[in-house]
Amino acid sequence: MSLSYNSMTATDLMTSKKPESGLRLRVLGKIGEQKPYNCYQCIKCTSGCPSMKMLELKPHEVVALTRAGFIEELISSGIIWACATCLKCKERCPQAVAPVDLIIALRNLAVEKEVKVPESFLQNVSMILECGFVSRPQATVTRKLEKTDRDKLGLPGFREPDEKFKAAFMKALEASQEAGEQH
Amino acid sequence: MKVMVYWGCVVPTIQYAYEMSVRGVMPQLNVELVELENPSCCGTPVQSVNILAALYLAARNLAVAEKKGLNDLLVVCNGCHLSFSEAMYFMNQNEKLRERVNALLKEEDLHYSGSVKMWHTVDFLHDMVGEEAIKNAVKKPLNGLKLASHYGCHILRPSTLRTIDDPENPRKLDELVEWLGAKSVPYPEKLDCCGAMLLLSHPDAAFTFSGLKMKAVQDWGTDALVVSCPSCQNMFDMRQRSAAATTGAKLNLPVLYYTQLLGLAMGIPQEKLGLNLNRSPLDELLQKLSDLLAPN
Repeated sequence: MSLSYNSMTATDLMTSKKPESGLRLRVLGKIGEQKPYNCYQCIKCTSGCPSMKMLELKPHEVVALTRAGFIEELISSGIIWACATCLKCKERCPQAVAPVDLIIALRNLAVEKEVKVPESFLQNVSMILECGFVSRPQATVTRKLEKTDRDKLGLPGFREPDEKFKAAFMKALEASQEAGEQH
Repeated sequence: MKVMVYWGCVVPTIQYAYEMSVRGVMPQLNVELVELENPSCCGTPVQSVNILAALYLAARNLAVAEKKGLNDLLVVCNGCHLSFSEAMYFMNQNEKLRERVNALLKEEDLHYSGSVKMWHTVDFLHDMVGEEAIKNAVKKPLNGLKLASHYGCHILRPSTLRTIDDPENPRKLDELVEWLGAKSVPYPEKLDCCGAMLLLSHPDAAFTFSGLKMKAVQDWGTDALVVSCPSCQNMFDMRQRSAAATTGAKLNLPVLYYTQLLGLAMGIPQEKLGLNLNRSPLDELLQKLSDLLAPN
């Protein structure tokens, strides 16, 4: 497909800002370049979005803003973290645009650019680097508030992956920083 | 039959009841669970940070399973199931990506070729074990119970990947419930999301998702909510009080895993199914069940 994305321009009338086409191409590259251009704004995604009811996430707007090139505005607005990844938009889109994939790509870019990323998402990564999982086995309590844990419940021992895993995972994290597009 | 099992992060580190009940019911269905040698996180928790690293983690675990050499892999968690489905899809579709990921996997002497057949607890019990074996294993049918089933988003959508049932009108968990003699009630909120994936960024919204769904299920007059995903169980069971506090609803809804329910119908002792670990108000339901299950 050979749409001339770069020649399309728009201006934010509130701030008089021009969109940045470089960032737009990077986000589009992450999800298959032409996908958002297939959107005809039928709003089926937004009408079924549970985060629309609760947090005013409008997936069709995310698609439209990406097309127009307002990537920096999107990743710094925080709205991309309102998605519950229920995947209904991806299932129901008549044009196979998958707004959720676009939102995940925007989150990745927000991490890369170090803007407004909820702390816990990054903690998950460091925990996996530390022990291979997002958590180690935790102590818990029964409904009657008796303390218990994996051992006491008679479950088999929990093994963490070895040092080799950590090195390989680190490499995977670094490799994707270099590459603009993935799939 | 021998089946490899992948537990993920949440099940073996806090949702012990799921692991206990799966370990409890499978031998009675002639299923032998085979542990993986060196599993790690499935990738889902990394997806928002770095999608390639998430794909690598998913492919890594599938490669670990391939190395073990059996055909079938049981994945008990919905999030892990989706992560693996995505990896299978992209690795299959994009040769360049497959080469890049395999180059990373080589560090650990692993290789992804895509030969493993993946199952989730629900479709494994429904399609692989099947109606006859499950009905035969039921010693005391749960007649008279009215239950609501909750599938969880990530095993149903998107249907372009390897999902387990119809994305808009799933039936398998409902049928599994009915094979135990209970009634699975239809309810309009069935496909509503539990909100678990919002816990990290918007906890109040997350608890509103789960609270509103539980309120609805309760108002339909059901005896319990049946789930098959550890993250949904966390939202509905372990954190039911937070959901009640956030939405202002009076919640008093028993929530349990399908495998716990199956174990009860098979006559497995409650403590072996981790039924003392559910935080939701299960005691009344268990009392009702023990009257139901008591020898005449």
